[in-house]
Amino acid sequence: MYNEDQKIVFRFSPELDNAFLEELYGDDLQQAEMVFESSVQQLRNGQQLTDARFHDGDIPGLKKEIHKMKPVLGYMGMNKIMEEFEAFEQACIQFKSSAEAEDGFYHIKSLTLEAIKRGEKEINRLKQHNTQYL
Amino acid sequence: MKYQSIIVEDLQVAAEFLTRFCEKSGMIDVLHHFLNAEDAMEFLRDNVVDLIFLDVEMPGASGFELLDQLVYTPQVILTTSKTEYAYDAFQYNVTDYLKKPFTYQRFLESVQKVSKKTEQLNGGSEQDHMFIKADGKLIRLHNDDILFIESMGDYVKFITPVKKYITHNTIKNLETKVNPQVFMKVHRSYIVNFTKINDIQENVLFINGNMIPISKTHKSGVMQKINIL
Repeated sequence: MYNEDQKIVFRFSPELDNAFLEELYGDDLQQAEMVFESSVQQLRNGQQLTDARFHDGDIPGLKKEIHKMKPVLGYMGMNKIMEEFEAFEQACIQFKSSAEAEDGFYHIKSLTLEAIKRGEKEINRLKQHNTQYL
Repeated sequence: MKYQSIIVEDLQVAAEFLTRFCEKSGMIDVLHHFLNAEDAMEFLRDNVVDLIFLDVEMPGASGFELLDQLVYTPQVILTTSKTEYAYDAFQYNVTDYLKKPFTYQRFLESVQKVSKKTEQLNGGSEQDHMFIKADGKLIRLHNDDILFIESMGDYVKFITPVKKYITHNTIKNLETKVNPQVFMKVHRSYIVNFTKINDIQENVLFINGNMIPISKTHKSGVMQKINIL
C-alpha cells in the first residue's frame, strides 16, 4: 500500500493481520481510517452493553452482544481476538448464570480493552499517513 | 443487467462495506439499508427486489424469519459471522453465504453466483424476452418484438409492430431490467430497441415512423452505441 503521488508505503502494525487488511482495504486508507474509527466506537459501546448484560445476569443478552462485537474485530484485522470472542460466544450457550461466565467474561473484557487500544493506535497511524501530504 | 438489492444488516460498519462493494462492482444498486428484518419486511411488501443481502442474527426477527414471510423468491446472500447457519442456508436455497468480514474478491465470487443463477433461471442464455402483465395476463414479449417503451406516468406502453401493451411500471425500473445489449434509454420517457432504429436526425430518432426524442443527457451514449461508418 502506498500514497500514489509520494509512494509512501503504509503497513498496518505487525500485531494485526496485514495480508487480510491489505486485501480488505486495498489502497483506500481513508476508508480504513473511517472503518477503524467506527469499529473502535462500536467496541466501546459493546463493552458497556456486555458489562450491563453480565451484571444483570442476562447471559443470552451477553451472548448477543459478543456476537455483534465479533466481526468488528475482523474489520481491524484482529483475528485471534475474534476467535476468542467466538469461543466465548459458544461457551455462553452452556452458562446458566453470571457466576459461571465470570472467568470468560473478564478475559473477554481485557481483550476488548486491548483491542480498543490497538485500534486507537492504528487510527493515529492512519491519520498521520492520510494527512501527511494534504 | 443491474441487480436491485437491499441490505438487511444491524452492524453499521458491515453495511457500509457492503454498500461500497456494490458500488464498486457496478452491478448492484442498493435501494435501501435496513437495520432490522421488520422494516425490511415492510418494504418488501410493496417493492420487488432481485437480491437481498441478509444478516441472520439481528435484534427482533431473524433473517430466516424474514425469508419465511416472503411471497416471492429474490436471490439471497446471507452475511453472517457464524458458520453454523450453513445447513439452514442450504435449506432456504440461498445463493451464497458470506462470513463477515469478507474481502471484495470474495464478494465478487458471490455476485458471479448470482449472475449464474439468474442465467439458469432465464433459460441459460442471454435474456431474450420478458414477461409483462397486461390485459389481465402475463404476456411473453421477445426483445425483437419490441420497438420501444414509452412512459405514461405510473404506466408504460410497450410498442410492438402489431400491438401496444400498457402495464403498470416505470421507465426508471425497466431501465435496469431490460437487456442492455438490445435496449437503451434515450430520454426520461423512452427506452428504445437499438436494432429497430431507422434513422437519427439531430435530437430525434425514428422507429417505424414513430418520432422519439433523444435528451441531451443521453445523446452522447446513443452516438457511442451506433455504428457510424
